[in-house]
Amino acid sequence: MNMVVCVKRVPDTAEAEVHIDASGKDIEKSRLSFKINECDNYAVEEAIQIKERLGGTVTVISLGPKENDEVIRMALAKGGDEAIRLEDEAFAGGDGFAVAKALAAAIKGMEFDIVFTGALADDDGYAVVPAALGELLGVPHATYVKKVEILEDGKRARVGRELEGGLLEFLEIDLPCVLGIQTGINEPRYASFKGIKQAAKKEIAVKSAADLGVDASEVGEAGSWAVLEKFTPPVVGEMAEILEGDPEETAAKLAAILKEKGLV
Amino acid sequence: MKDIFVLIEHRRGEMRDVSIEMLCGAAGLGGTVVAVLLGKDVDAFAEKAAGYADKVLYVNDPMFENYNSEAYQKALSALIKEHNPGLVLIGNTAQGIDLAPALAVELGAPLVTDVTALEMEGDKPKPTRQFYGGKLDAHMVMKDADLYILTVREATFQAGEPSKSGEIVKVENPVKEEITYRKFVEYVEPEVGEVDITQSTMLVGVGRGIREDKNLPIVEELAKVLGADLAASRAVVDAGWLPADRQVGISGKTVKPKLYLAVGISGAFQHVTGMKGSEVIVAINKDPDAPIFGIADYGIVDDLFKVVPKLTEKIKELKGL
Amino acid sequence: MCAEELDFITKYDLLGCIQCGRCTGGCPVAMRTPLRVRCFMYDTQNQERLEELSERPEIWDCTTCYTCAARCPKGLEPLEVLIGLRSIQIEEGRVQPTVRDALESIFRDGNPWGSPRAKRLDWVKDLEVKVLEPEAEEVTDVLLFICCTDAYDPRVMKVAQSLVKVLQAWGVDFGLIGEDESCCGSEVRRLGEEGLFEMCDEENVELLNSFNVNRIVAISPHCYNTLKKEYHGLKHPVLHYTELVAQLLEDGKLQLKGELPKVVTYHDPCFLGKQNDIYDEPRYIITRIPGVEFREFDRCRERSLCCEGGGGKMWVESESKEERLAEIRVTDAKELGAEVIAVACPFCLLPLEDATKVKGIEEEMRVADILELLAEAL
Repeated sequence: MNMVVCVKRVPDTAEAEVHIDASGKDIEKSRLSFKINECDNYAVEEAIQIKERLGGTVTVISLGPKENDEVIRMALAKGGDEAIRLEDEAFAGGDGFAVAKALAAAIKGMEFDIVFTGALADDDGYAVVPAALGELLGVPHATYVKKVEILEDGKRARVGRELEGGLLEFLEIDLPCVLGIQTGINEPRYASFKGIKQAAKKEIAVKSAADLGVDASEVGEAGSWAVLEKFTPPVVGEMAEILEGDPEETAAKLAAILKEKGLV
Repeated sequence: MKDIFVLIEHRRGEMRDVSIEMLCGAAGLGGTVVAVLLGKDVDAFAEKAAGYADKVLYVNDPMFENYNSEAYQKALSALIKEHNPGLVLIGNTAQGIDLAPALAVELGAPLVTDVTALEMEGDKPKPTRQFYGGKLDAHMVMKDADLYILTVREATFQAGEPSKSGEIVKVENPVKEEITYRKFVEYVEPEVGEVDITQSTMLVGVGRGIREDKNLPIVEELAKVLGADLAASRAVVDAGWLPADRQVGISGKTVKPKLYLAVGISGAFQHVTGMKGSEVIVAINKDPDAPIFGIADYGIVDDLFKVVPKLTEKIKELKGL
Repeated sequence: MCAEELDFITKYDLLGCIQCGRCTGGCPVAMRTPLRVRCFMYDTQNQERLEELSERPEIWDCTTCYTCAARCPKGLEPLEVLIGLRSIQIEEGRVQPTVRDALESIFRDGNPWGSPRAKRLDWVKDLEVKVLEPEAEEVTDVLLFICCTDAYDPRVMKVAQSLVKVLQAWGVDFGLIGEDESCCGSEVRRLGEEGLFEMCDEENVELLNSFNVNRIVAISPHCYNTLKKEYHGLKHPVLHYTELVAQLLEDGKLQLKGELPKVVTYHDPCFLGKQNDIYDEPRYIITRIPGVEFREFDRCRERSLCCEGGGGKMWVESESKEERLAEIRVTDAKELGAEVIAVACPFCLLPLEDATKVKGIEEEMRVADILELLAEAL
């Protein structure tokens, strides 16, 4: 199996406060930690597990600045063979479609059986790349994938997609294909520091839009289906009644409310 | 204004709510609302959709018994080319997101996914969606085009009462060739564990804020004194700290207990969808901007590790334990 | 991994082991888990078994408290063999998700708690404290090395805040590293992540040496032990805060005004006591607080029972269902009639405080760092 894994580096906002910056189109990132997009981490693991079972190669691709090398190296340390980073000013501000076009241009000349991506990105949540990339590459796709089994002839895979309610939809899909991986499909391994150091010896090929033969108007903001006009804080319905005080007081207030409502 | 296509989503003999919601939402946008139904012997769905649409395009073919992106994409793209709508609405579901981006690429139509609010500027949609797990609203400007596609989040529009009686037009399946590279095999139900949280009257939902599984005892203790069962966000289940049958949200269970006490849950849409029908929602989270406070009835903005033990204590006192 | 690295016999002097069993005999976790460290001293001599032995879950039960090494008549360090086995698993990437996340967080952000560097000074935001400049001309007396747990954990933060208050009351000239401060790597090494520990060693030594200070004072015994004994090329002397504070008290420059009319016992942190022979300073400080009635645990000083907070145990849950050592410890304290368990380590504070909750005695039994008691008595 020759596989490609697409990884993104994103700010970790799961437990952090998010503030809109002065431009209104981005967030304050100085107080945030960055890491590999969560689904992508599972995608890397899935590719490497398949390589371990069936042999083959894993090529890691990431679109973004030099900082992305950190997540690329971790993927290489876990068992990736080669790496490509797509960097160009022209890529800036792209939506899922623009990103998919750049990725497709990078992957097109390669021989691959499966391209793995995460099912969606933690930051923008577009969830566009897996299906769009499949279409751009002219191969079938499946997303929200939570089970992958390569069938014996090596030309097809049995794939389980996670639907609403946790129901799994199993389908058979021809290879080559693009699979958008959902979290929880496996348990991502740890990349040791020694492993990352060794992986640092592997070259990360940096490619610009010109290297990919893509016109600047096709990628980034210019090549996007839609661009961000501005961020605003979410419109919330009626806000919760916030109980004030120290933990002792808030806990007492809440307990009293629960009692009043007959819940205790 | 050109027609608006709304794709009717159904699975295993059930039409999904988002379909009716989108038909109702589309009715307010101006333009003829056309429900597009691909299925096998789903006349009842066609009739139901007709109550909300000006027209129903119904393709009855065994090919569409179960969703298959290849078959759906081919059929939809043919129908769109033939009827030339200006806007296509698809549910932002596991099905919709598997389908819409590929369809949009094929048709060269701009797509915005996971739309949570929609305005029109003439024929052009001006969608709003969310970034960072619901922590920000993003106002999007779409590229000018003849056709736009949107995937719409569940509950973005309200489903009303049927008020139309659209014509049901039975259309011959435009897909003549065989579906080759993607075949539906089967559905597999998620495993059922000891506790069925959909039946629980009280739930304590645990999120990523718990940080480590060894911190679980403090919420277990709270659940115990409340007589509640533990539920979890996706992150907690993915980490293996609680079994998958405790997961609340889009890919987990939908619960409607009398009390849902969300501990360390930020309130991403995926989770909220599964618990927003609870009678009383209480949230404890240290981030004052956490979206969970937008749907909770009561909130405590503080460190859960400080508040939860205190709350356990207070409830014990009230119960005389 | 190359065969040379796998040669445990040479690396840990295994042929020196006489299989007397004092290591297992003294091992506190042997009471509640299947870990028998003596067996590992024997079994790991067979190189072919290393892989299999490294897969045993009980190697993660070791708290690296050092009792086995302290009692070994041949001067061996059996705990290091277990760390060596953990390394095999680490290099293969097969570790519990909590361990993986903690290590990745240290690599990325310099702390195991998944928090960004930019929040490293949040604990001190209401206090006025000098942040040191590298290569400053002016000498600062003390560089405070703040443990990641003190910096980020909302409970333990109070300990670091207390230290600041105490030093300010005494007029000590001190400063902090600031956002560039990184994990010391003590737990990294004990989780078996040798490579990452080397990074912590190199980067921290370079950073610490860049400050013009007389001495470094560590708040956690784990940082203290690592800075003092495991780093290479650190030019400043390293103290634990109990050493500095005991000295300040002895100099008599400041009188404690507050009263603590309570029965207080003291739990010796393994990394302060067993591993660094600091037993008297903490007791000296506690007994100087007016009103305190001090009582010793039966198992105190060299015989102190480990609370299971160290050796990476913050991120590894034992499979054992037997009573935790921290629970035994708080029960012992209760029987002793103690109302306060004083500690001098963040990794003792958390498990012991949890244990009072598990035992339902959190109302009657307070667990507090010596610094908190001291700050209240100022």
